[in-house]
Amino acid sequence: MSDHDHHAQPQPPETRDAGSQALAEALASSFVIVKFAMVALVVIIFAAGFFTVGLQEKAVILRFGKPQGEGQKMLLGAGLHWALPYPIDEVVRIPISEIQKVTSTIGWFLTTPEMELAGTEPPAGPSLNPQIDGYVLTADRNIIHTRATVSYHIDDPRTAIFNFTSGTNHSFNLAGVSNAVQNAANNALILTSARFNVDDILTRDIAGFQDAVRQHVSRLVENEKLGVTIDQVQVQSVAPRQLKDIFAQVSIARQNREKLITEAQSKENQILSEAGAQAASITNAAASASHRFVTSIQADAETFAQLLPQYQSNPKLYMQLELAKAMPQILANVEKNFMPAHADGKSTELRLLLNREPPQPRSAANP
Amino acid sequence: MNKKKNLITILIAAVLVVIFALLLFTFQVRQSEVAVLTTFGKPAASNLDQPSLYFKWPWPIQQVYRFDQRVQNFEDKFSENYTADNTVLLTSVYVGWRISDAKEFFPKFAGGSVAAAQRQLEAMLRSAKAAVIAKHKLADFVNSDPAQLKFTAIEEEIKTAVQTELASHNYGISIDFLGVKKLGLPESVTQTVFDRMKSERTKYISEAQFNGEAAATKIRSAAERQAADLIANAQAAATRIEGAGVAEAAKTLGVFQQNPELAVFQLQLEALKTSMNQKTTLVFDERMTPFNLFQNWSATPSTK
Repeated sequence: MSDHDHHAQPQPPETRDAGSQALAEALASSFVIVKFAMVALVVIIFAAGFFTVGLQEKAVILRFGKPQGEGQKMLLGAGLHWALPYPIDEVVRIPISEIQKVTSTIGWFLTTPEMELAGTEPPAGPSLNPQIDGYVLTADRNIIHTRATVSYHIDDPRTAIFNFTSGTNHSFNLAGVSNAVQNAANNALILTSARFNVDDILTRDIAGFQDAVRQHVSRLVENEKLGVTIDQVQVQSVAPRQLKDIFAQVSIARQNREKLITEAQSKENQILSEAGAQAASITNAAASASHRFVTSIQADAETFAQLLPQYQSNPKLYMQLELAKAMPQILANVEKNFMPAHADGKSTELRLLLNREPPQPRSAANP
Repeated sequence: MNKKKNLITILIAAVLVVIFALLLFTFQVRQSEVAVLTTFGKPAASNLDQPSLYFKWPWPIQQVYRFDQRVQNFEDKFSENYTADNTVLLTSVYVGWRISDAKEFFPKFAGGSVAAAQRQLEAMLRSAKAAVIAKHKLADFVNSDPAQLKFTAIEEEIKTAVQTELASHNYGISIDFLGVKKLGLPESVTQTVFDRMKSERTKYISEAQFNGEAAATKIRSAAERQAADLIANAQAAATRIEGAGVAEAAKTLGVFQQNPELAVFQLQLEALKTSMNQKTTLVFDERMTPFNLFQNWSATPSTK
């Protein structure tokens, strides 16, 4: 404003003396500089509206404090973006990774990532210090260790970012929500263990326990309106290190019991199928013997009926003929010895050597 | 030319003035915030909890106090309490709380200090927990029967107790959720629990051994009995089948009665045929038919 006033004064020059001319030129050039500076300032203000978003973060534009865009559109991804200058728009950056994952903080004994990787455990004392070692109580009042890893995704960024904080004042991140999910997991482990028996958690119903924990976490997350959805919950449970061996012995004993029973069952199958086969063969043999008997009697009866007329015509002759007919057949397989008759009619002595055929030697016939 | 130049200059200057005035006379409340406007130190009647642009007189007339209205997480210390059946139980709870009424909140805690508020919250939780846990037995905390498990109800009772306390003092704080974060037993008790668990396990081991053998023996003996039954039944069936066969055959016996002599002859002949089928040595008298034919045919004795 004051520049303008100074400029207006030398505007109507009456005399074109060298001094006033020089002053006018100087003023004109300084005005140009000021004008240029003002334009530059405006340009800078607008150019400053450009900002980039990295891969490991998202940005939200707050216009007069209110997030722009609804749902997932609120989150600006990696790339170049533009916003109005500060008093109108404010850009907040939120560190956000692709995978949202938390692990419960209670329920597991004190260990380090190095020990986890090496698969070793810290030495077990006779008792558990509640300040250091985590554990849960089961329904049958056993102590076990358990932990849950929860994967989730952000459903409603407005809720997740602007409704929860981890205490870091006025900064924006997802720490508040991940903290809440973590406590939901802790709570789920305690409450679910409280209604499961130790053997169900450790061996008999591992999947059921995991599923119950997942349901509990999902329910809490929904009730607490965290704006996230639980994708997966993995639960790992172990017996206390102090009792590891005896727990292992129980499972071995139980496996042995199963083995004994399985063996007995296969023996049962064997015994029953053998008995079944034997029973079938007994009845089959009886059936076929009976059938054979009946048919042979019937065949004999038929033959008898056919022969009866011939026999009745001359019984004696018939019998002689039949016997003579049968003789060659009967004698075909027989070793024959003849005893010549003595003229004096005395009996002949016959000696048999009985060592040739082991089975049933026949005694000597009459002379 | 000069006039146009002046116009641009005035415009740019005006923009700058507007921006400056905006900074001086307005303020923003962000989505996550709640603000209280004070006029000469006196708070306004309402909280500014919606994100927007608000007007104010510049300092020192009016002043803005901002608070985070997001849900804060607070966890109390792992502390011991007695249950109704005199068990010592260690519990720690997490609380999701937030400033629900900033104009009430900030005069009560020095400068609206969150830490001061949480100290107050911790004291309330301590007494609420002690009161609620003392009303319940251990069986209400751990129980395999869902009907007797009262864990969720216990959490609800603690929450209600703290909420009532907060409301009666009008702290401007509300509790969104509360849950047990950690549950434990005193260190010395864990050792006795381990001893009990150990003896339980030992019992299970002998049970499993005994049960396994008993069950296996039971299965085997049942199978053997069943097998014996099967064979006995089969033998009975066989006897019945044979009996039926004999009865069937008896129907044809009438045929043979027409001439028993022939029947007997036939049977004898048949018996002879079958009995001579095997390797047999017979010694005959020459006078026996049909070999008596030889005697009349030749005087030479046959010695074979």
